[in-house]
Amino acid sequence: MIFFRLGVLAVWVGSVLFAMTQPVFSEEASTSQKTVEEKVDDLDQKLRILERRFELQQEGANEKAKAAPAAGTAGEAFLFTSADGQSQLRFRGVIQADARFLHPGADTFFLNRVRPIMEGVLYHYYAFTFIPDFGQGKTVIQDAYLDIRYYSDANVLFGKTKAPFGLERLQADVDLRFVERALPTDLVPNRDIGVQIHRDAPNGILTYAFGVFNGVPDGGSADADADKNKDLVGRIFLQPFSRVHFEPIQRFGIGIAGSYGVEHGTPAAPNLPSYVTVGQQTFFQYRTGATTAAATVADGAHARISPQAYYYWGPFGLLGEYVRSSQEVQIGTSTERIKNSAWQATASFLLTGEKNSYGSVVPLRPFDPASGRWGAFEVAARYSVLNVDPDAFPTFADPTKSAHEAKAWAGGVNWYLNRSVKFMFDHEQTAFKGGAVGGDREREKAFLGRAQIAF
Amino acid sequence: MPIQILFFLFSSLWGIFGISQTLHAADVTLLNVSYDPTRELYQDFNAAFAKKWKEKNGQNVKVNQSHGGSGKQARAVIDGLEADVVTLALAYDIDAISEKGGLLPKNWQSRLPNNSAPYTSTIVFLVRKGNPKGIKDWQDLAKPGISVVTPNPKTSGGARWNYLAAWGYALKKNGGDEGKAKEFVARLYKNVPVLDSGARGATTTFVERGIGDVLIAWENEALLAINELGKGKFEVVAPSASILAEPPVALVDKVVDRHKTHEVAQAYLEYLYSEEGQEIAAKHFYRPRLESVAFKYANQFPKVSLFTIDELFGGWQKAQKTHFADGGIFDQIYQPGR
Repeated sequence: MIFFRLGVLAVWVGSVLFAMTQPVFSEEASTSQKTVEEKVDDLDQKLRILERRFELQQEGANEKAKAAPAAGTAGEAFLFTSADGQSQLRFRGVIQADARFLHPGADTFFLNRVRPIMEGVLYHYYAFTFIPDFGQGKTVIQDAYLDIRYYSDANVLFGKTKAPFGLERLQADVDLRFVERALPTDLVPNRDIGVQIHRDAPNGILTYAFGVFNGVPDGGSADADADKNKDLVGRIFLQPFSRVHFEPIQRFGIGIAGSYGVEHGTPAAPNLPSYVTVGQQTFFQYRTGATTAAATVADGAHARISPQAYYYWGPFGLLGEYVRSSQEVQIGTSTERIKNSAWQATASFLLTGEKNSYGSVVPLRPFDPASGRWGAFEVAARYSVLNVDPDAFPTFADPTKSAHEAKAWAGGVNWYLNRSVKFMFDHEQTAFKGGAVGGDREREKAFLGRAQIAF
Repeated sequence: MPIQILFFLFSSLWGIFGISQTLHAADVTLLNVSYDPTRELYQDFNAAFAKKWKEKNGQNVKVNQSHGGSGKQARAVIDGLEADVVTLALAYDIDAISEKGGLLPKNWQSRLPNNSAPYTSTIVFLVRKGNPKGIKDWQDLAKPGISVVTPNPKTSGGARWNYLAAWGYALKKNGGDEGKAKEFVARLYKNVPVLDSGARGATTTFVERGIGDVLIAWENEALLAINELGKGKFEVVAPSASILAEPPVALVDKVVDRHKTHEVAQAYLEYLYSEEGQEIAAKHFYRPRLESVAFKYANQFPKVSLFTIDELFGGWQKAQKTHFADGGIFDQIYQPGR
């Protein structure tokens, strides 16, 4: 009996002791769990912090990458941009491989224009351009200028560039609709050196330029002046409906250009023009010689005026200009004011539906025969006339060698493979009045072709 | 050709030009370079201004926006970003545009009412729902174990206001003792694990990334977070004292002269002070200046005792030089937190 009671007592004591340990064991267990949860939260926060720091580092690196000087391409140009985006250098180029088959005259393949083009902007406002030309076996600096563009409405340009005058002359060489420019371009200045204030707004309402230049003969370029006189040249061109939301009239442009200067020449350097055909054959020149009695020279005021216009609507384009150039000349003791004039009308139509314009044609379907894409095709037609003042003959020009009128008509087809490569095929005939012994100079028939890459 | 005909042709062309200009006024575009948290404000304000301008002048106005840390934005404008107007977090940043960029005159701040600050704000705390860490005032932010989110004062105008609010509180609490204020702010920044470049980035860190126990924020950012960004997940705690933040606006004269946008840009800034402009500001949780609008929205804003930067720090030039310039007090005390 006593052993039974001792056993019960032992069980009771053991139970009590066991029960006493239970709460202590539970408290320890719940304290550890809280610590684990907090530790998990802590770890979660640390992970989030690390992820966010990494995210911010990536954002910072991306911003630095954006800010770093960049090299790349922009359209056709190779481009280098400074870290702050305020300066940029672009490399472009033009190669024109031409074919010229003439009757009468020689047939030849030649490189018409080979121009590496370097242009850019420094410090946001100072643009520059440098274009040498290695075509036709010569080395010429075609354009080299600084253009300060602080006020977009009045940029100031210093250096050599196209004088702001002829509409077709001002059209980019790579955007011409015919291989060679028309007869009126014989009367307008080409490149000249000077300073001009200008505003360019290709899609805006007003474009203007007014400048002081050395002065060049009709169709000419020069790198220096032989006298103290300077030419004033100015041009205003409007696209009055460019912001009207009615496409048929949006791209109508009209303008006027004028120039005035005083030119003097010598028998060795008469400072007078010759006029050439699209085949680059001279059909008019003033008398030349070794003495003032034999050579016609520039001797006084030289004024030009040119109303001009274009119109583009969809694939159709029309360009027209009239130029009148008057120059006081002298030979021996005879003086005269010779007034020559020319005009042209050029129409073009893009058969493949691209938008026509004064500028580049961008094919809707660039050449890729495997995909059935053939580029863009364009047909063009042109008529131009140049009249020489009858007062030029016979004193100042030899009527047996120089024509007093040239009339040219031309038809052409252009094939644009893409925005950089195009082929051109023209046929032009130029008829003359005078310019030959006993009659008219022989009609020139020209077949002209061009393979061009421009980027 | 006679000179008279030439003159006639020239005049005709100018006449055509003049007629075409008057027939249709060109659309105009402005660029507003602003600080980080004002995206929603200017989205609504720009639409309202464009509508008003069209009604009054028949001209379409498009306002483009650029947002970022106020200091970064000011540097961008100095480096050539063509801002017609700037609407930044603090006057110091616009002073920098004037001094270093020469783009607007030194007296720019006097050209518009209320020191060119059409609305004000202050600095408050955003905490998680239920305020699990029991944050009540500035001193709680410096306690060990509290994780504080605030942006980088080197790049963010809001961050500079945050820092100066903390410093100002410590000054007031410790009888103007700069040493104790420095010690307090150092302890606070020891609790900062991540420094975003701008106020909106800090909001992203706290609200979307779930980092930190408390976000020191522009009042408008905090109210935006509880009402829109993280509805029901956060609470605003107003400290016992904070700084009166006066984000200013200014015309960038050289740019508007070049762009010929002076008239419309000036009207744009003035419209911030109009009743509609002030209503829009209040709806986006900025404290309006116009008394009638301030009264209407009074209950929206917590009651906070406010001190000014002039009062405690002698103005922005002095505060910037002492605290935020390279080698200043912030550079001395900041260490990344846990």
